[in-house]
Amino acid sequence: MVTCTSMKIELINRNGVVVISPSGEIDMYSSPLLRKELISFTKKKISPVIVALRDVTYIDSSGIATFVEALKRMMPYNGKLKIAEIPESIMKIFNFSKLDKVFDMYESIDDAIKG
Amino acid sequence: MQMETAIEVNGLITYYGKREVLKNLSFSIPQSMTTVIVGGSGCGKTTLLKHLIALLKPAKGTINIHGKDITKMNETTLIEFKKKMGVLFQGAALLNSMTLADNVALPLREHTQLKQPIIDIIVRMKLDLVGLTGFDTYYPAQLSGGMKKRAGIARAMAMDPEFLFFDEPSAGLDPVTAAGLDELIIKLHKAFKLTLVVVTHELPSIFKIADYVIMLDAGTIIFIGTIEELKASTSPKVKMFLQRQAEEEPYRPEDYFKIISGS
Repeated sequence: MVTCTSMKIELINRNGVVVISPSGEIDMYSSPLLRKELISFTKKKISPVIVALRDVTYIDSSGIATFVEALKRMMPYNGKLKIAEIPESIMKIFNFSKLDKVFDMYESIDDAIKG
Repeated sequence: MQMETAIEVNGLITYYGKREVLKNLSFSIPQSMTTVIVGGSGCGKTTLLKHLIALLKPAKGTINIHGKDITKMNETTLIEFKKKMGVLFQGAALLNSMTLADNVALPLREHTQLKQPIIDIIVRMKLDLVGLTGFDTYYPAQLSGGMKKRAGIARAMAMDPEFLFFDEPSAGLDPVTAAGLDELIIKLHKAFKLTLVVVTHELPSIFKIADYVIMLDAGTIIFIGTIEELKASTSPKVKMFLQRQAEEEPYRPEDYFKIISGS
């Protein structure tokens, strides 16, 4: 588990698939931790990368930018970034930035694995 | 109207030299609303705004933001606190030697450890938000007045602030550009539920963007309330301002002669 003051990240093994599960606030100060985790996956060209946001209470521009950068890094190897279990308040931010049409979004981790 | 308080000002007094410019002001600014501070030129609007963003310290009084008095904070605590505040200054205050992208990136480079690829994405997000996609390599001198203001808003929004302060956003803009800026302010308010504080004397802006109004006259508050209450106000000074009536000459011609002749 990786932690900082406002956020911690757990890696969950679900039927052999590793899921990144941050909890707390993804902000200007905590998002570099999430970025580090995502880059460790994209460097190994892992696909899909699944991120579960169920326990995230806040996300700011740096959090959104972190997902945008990860997806950009995955594009050359046709990797998929799947975001699951998105709380309503976080979904609104994705909707506003129109990125709900760009990322693959799923209701549950199981749906993300199957999809 | 049920309102949660974001900023509470109590007994604020300030001087420029010996002249008292803010005279014992007490008021609250509601959370997640657009509060407009209005009044004629020289009434103390901008001075008040400078106190709210801790650029000036009052001679007396307190300014509580979420229960913390910013007038008593030391420099280190204040810097942390100011990260929650975005400010659009009257002239946009962009750095002319920097591109728009670098201007917007400046607070992120100063206050965070974010890596350049993330800063680049945030800058593009903020420029898109204010309708300036594709202008990242432009310098302020290459932009119109309205575009400079928009770029100033993008920079003010860089750190995802909780509070956004605008000092005369429409100053120096033609009516159409000014209306466009009002639309942008409304859009930001709706999208991010920010607490906005706008200093202006532009009547069309007041009626378009304000939820809550504080009217100043010669350093004192002459009206405080919702936009509906402002429209219904029977105060002669408020009515005079809303009907764009000039105040009566304060002197008789013979008194004026005495003043300028020094007799």
